[in-house]
Amino acid sequence: MERLPRGRHGLSPEYVARNQRERLIAGLIEVLHEVGYQKTTVSLIGQRASVSKSDFYKHFESKDECFFAAYEVAVERIQSAVQEACAKHRQEQWSLRVRDALVAVLNLLAADPPLAGLVLVEGLRAGRGAYERYQVALEAFVPELRNGAPQAPGREPVPEAMDEAVVGGIASLLGRRVLAGEAEQIDELLPEVLEFALTPYLGAAEARRIISAG
Amino acid sequence: MKPTRPELPREFIAVRKRRRITDAMAELCAKQGYEATKIADIVRLAGVARKTLYDNFEGKEEVFLAAFDSATAEMTARIEEACQEADGEWVDRAAAGLQAFLGYVAENPAAARLCLIEAMSATPTASARYDETVQGYVELLRHNTPSDKNLPDTLEETLVGGVAWILHQEIRRGGAEKALDLTPELLDFLVSPYRGVGN
Repeated sequence: MERLPRGRHGLSPEYVARNQRERLIAGLIEVLHEVGYQKTTVSLIGQRASVSKSDFYKHFESKDECFFAAYEVAVERIQSAVQEACAKHRQEQWSLRVRDALVAVLNLLAADPPLAGLVLVEGLRAGRGAYERYQVALEAFVPELRNGAPQAPGREPVPEAMDEAVVGGIASLLGRRVLAGEAEQIDELLPEVLEFALTPYLGAAEARRIISAG
Repeated sequence: MKPTRPELPREFIAVRKRRRITDAMAELCAKQGYEATKIADIVRLAGVARKTLYDNFEGKEEVFLAAFDSATAEMTARIEEACQEADGEWVDRAAAGLQAFLGYVAENPAAARLCLIEAMSATPTASARYDETVQGYVELLRHNTPSDKNLPDTLEETLVGGVAWILHQEIRRGGAEKALDLTPELLDFLVSPYRGVGN
């Protein structure tokens, strides 16, 4: 990342401040991916972001605060991608909406392994405070899944606990792939992940039929 | 003459002390987390001398890892035993295994919390061990469920991850003792993907 020239550069303090904050967040995400949460330090983040330690502390009180800000930014990016995909295609059919949402998520994660690592892995490993954010992020997907889901005749209504387990299971699977260094291939998991998401509502056979139909 | 107490064998006492130390680690982690837990806290709660702890363990991390290993070994043994003893279809084996697992959680909330929650964030070695343990349970599930070429390769991983997540949340909410109440929903979750296989 380029350092802004020292001294007067005609940029408003607000711009420089915003720019620094973004660079610090991006820097944290990168350093985190390389060395993990425990070894990530304010120094390393600052170095990566080309921001001095004292400037770091103008934006964040601690490494944790920077982490939480980064997490929020990352989750927003994922949610935007999902909303964009759903708005673009406006699928009538529930299963296709779920597919579009999953495609958006998997593609985003595969294209940005450090972001994937932050959200899926560090969310549970960075300790206190991170868990709440991980949980909130996952919970946001539950109504997305349920919204407009069909009530198949002869089947019991799907309890919300099942949706939580589905979302949690998928997140866990993707997290393990990131840990294995296979983040970039996450998008290849679409058929399996989609089948897993559709099965509780449609049954395995119907889920598979829809997926193979394209 | 007063009957004297029979001398307990040395190894027995040693094992009991180790157990008190690892139990104390689990209790303390449940209350305040791994990071905040100090050796002084552990020895106080366990009622052992500092020297005893260091005779048995290199330090805080080793105590944690020993607690993790003994808890997961017990969990696995209970599950495997239940699966083997179960009669009937594979669904009955899965149900038995699940109940054994949830039963362990209900009876050992602090140990369950240590394994399912604290291990992931305690130390890099602990989280690596957590990952290995999960892999073990993935294989256990695979072994006890029908295989079929139509089933996704990642199915068992996703199922184990989903169960772990549900329990993770339940434990955090303070509901570990009621883990068995989750049996019907979790069993449904585990077996639904296999329905219609090989029919």
